[in-house]
Amino acid sequence: MKKTSIFAFVAVPLLLASCIAAEQDNTECDIEEVSLHLDSPIDFFFHEYDTLQTVISTETDIVFTIRSYANIQSVPLSLRITEGASIYMISEDGTETPFLSGSPVDFSNEKVYHFRVVSEDKVWSRNYSISVVHDKPSEGNLFIDYESYHLDASGKYFVWDAPEVFPDATWKNGNPGFKISKSSAKPMDYPSTPAVGAGPDGSDCVKLETCDTGPFGRMANMRLASGSMFNGIFDVGNALTAPLEATLMGSPYTHKPIQVRIWLRYEQGSVFQDRDGKLVEGVVDEPDFYIVFYRNEDAEGNKVQLNGGDILTNPNIVGLGRLPHHYNSDGSDQLSNDPIHGVTDEWQEFTIPVVYRSEIDATILENQGYSIAFGSASSWQGGYFAGAIGSKLYMDNLQLFCE
Amino acid sequence: MKHILYTIAALFVFAASIQAQEEDSWEKWGPTTGLKDGGFIARVGYVLGGTTPIPLPAEIRKVNGFSPRGGISLGIDGYKMFSKRWGVSAGAHFFWEGFHTNADVKNYYVWLEQEGEVTKGYFTGTNVTSTEMWGVTLPLLATFRMSPRWNVSAGPYLSLYFHQTFSGEVFDNDEGVGYLREDTPTGTKILMTRENPTPYPDNFPEKMQPVALGIEIAFDWKAMKHMNVFGLLDWGMTDIWDRNFEAITFKMYPIYATVGLAYRY
Repeated sequence: MKKTSIFAFVAVPLLLASCIAAEQDNTECDIEEVSLHLDSPIDFFFHEYDTLQTVISTETDIVFTIRSYANIQSVPLSLRITEGASIYMISEDGTETPFLSGSPVDFSNEKVYHFRVVSEDKVWSRNYSISVVHDKPSEGNLFIDYESYHLDASGKYFVWDAPEVFPDATWKNGNPGFKISKSSAKPMDYPSTPAVGAGPDGSDCVKLETCDTGPFGRMANMRLASGSMFNGIFDVGNALTAPLEATLMGSPYTHKPIQVRIWLRYEQGSVFQDRDGKLVEGVVDEPDFYIVFYRNEDAEGNKVQLNGGDILTNPNIVGLGRLPHHYNSDGSDQLSNDPIHGVTDEWQEFTIPVVYRSEIDATILENQGYSIAFGSASSWQGGYFAGAIGSKLYMDNLQLFCE
Repeated sequence: MKHILYTIAALFVFAASIQAQEEDSWEKWGPTTGLKDGGFIARVGYVLGGTTPIPLPAEIRKVNGFSPRGGISLGIDGYKMFSKRWGVSAGAHFFWEGFHTNADVKNYYVWLEQEGEVTKGYFTGTNVTSTEMWGVTLPLLATFRMSPRWNVSAGPYLSLYFHQTFSGEVFDNDEGVGYLREDTPTGTKILMTRENPTPYPDNFPEKMQPVALGIEIAFDWKAMKHMNVFGLLDWGMTDIWDRNFEAITFKMYPIYATVGLAYRY
């Protein structure tokens, strides 16, 4: 028996660790990016950047919006899909033909094309649609009564219809993120829910409630979820890593907003907690509601989309209206125990004027160079996971008045 | 790792130099008196190993790092030789063992349950795991005396765990890829980064089996009249997880080797 035998036994577990099995085929089947190739995109689109869309994992209906008078024909369509996956175009009779990225597609007459992406391992597939639609000019003024809502595709939480000028014509909120942390929650346990017959006129309204996110929320150091409602995109994929940035707020708007009127009612939660879940003495929770008008392109022509982190502070903001709050001398939000927002547990209609800090350029406005963003929350510090669990903001009958 | 091997090698050289001039004989190196006698062996050893799926599942793409945790074993065995070559031994080895590993995974199925809430799906990225176990192993071995100075023993063992930890977290790999596909590979893609890693739930240790069964193989080399140098391997044959634990889909086995010195009388 050789002395080396002992070394061999020590080495066995280490050797095992180095036996890496052959890599298996990819199981994912996403369209990650879509672009249209036009010689002169600005003749068709409002922005150069509108020809390229990064597709988030929850999105399957990809829509490009062109100018109302533009007449698009056959254009090369480039698709970036998961490595190893294959993509098929589905014709009207259901037959599938392999699609070569960069092939021309005739998008005239707002024709919708259907695609199926099949994973490398051939086990999984996803269906997508791609279309080019004409911009529908809006009249500017809006009236939103939050009466039109339904359960999402998973049946877990409610989704509200929004005016067609907003992305997917739906209001966005943190409900998809809450679903990840609290799988057991019923639709009415979510932070943003309808309140049937609870509006000021006896019709349905929206209830935003700051909710405990449970054990997974604690694990991720995101102990509460404020109820919210905004227009834009909620990129739930980033909700864990960059929650503020996951809230992409605003959509292009061709009218200059002057003021918002909205009915509000607030029930303040009893205990204000900070991000670590510690009780903060001498501070009460506050609701938030604001409207922001901002320039959506920078000097280099890049897209500017404000998010939960800079929606109230970005230098591209041209006009802003918000419920009154206390602020520190540096302009940051000041927590206090004597809020001045004025929202009580009785319904009241609030008028929030949009205060402009710079002139609006009429040509830029006409060409969708500004975006409008509505934001609301049951806890004004909810983006930082601070607030009082149980705070409830009821909203109804939002009216937007434009110039 | 290297300095441990050097230490072990030095021990052998030291032991070998002592016995170099002495002549081997069955009587001289046998049990203290006579060839069929018995006695005790008190052992102190360094434990090194890991708790691992066998074979490694294809989901594990790369092992970036491995380091032992704990690594001490104190034990006593009683033995009885029935003949010149054959005997039995039984004992109790108290141990503190464990490891820490960092591995890149692809499509690694996770099913996390806490207080009735479930998050599940397929994770791709980097997975860091640490586990430590305190307990006692009770081996029952048959001993074969290969030569005057070499014994090999083998047989089953039962391990009882007094305390176990199992913790870890997931985040993005060196290429910046780190995400969970919720429920299925077509589900929502939830990004995860090292700036904000996602830890395992703290209830994993509750899902660990309090006992394990396995096979032990031990080599004893009689370095001096009362001192053995030994190396043994405990190869776990039972999954460390409760049968109904769904968070980890593959079975994991503890495989730990001990090397050390023993006092024999």
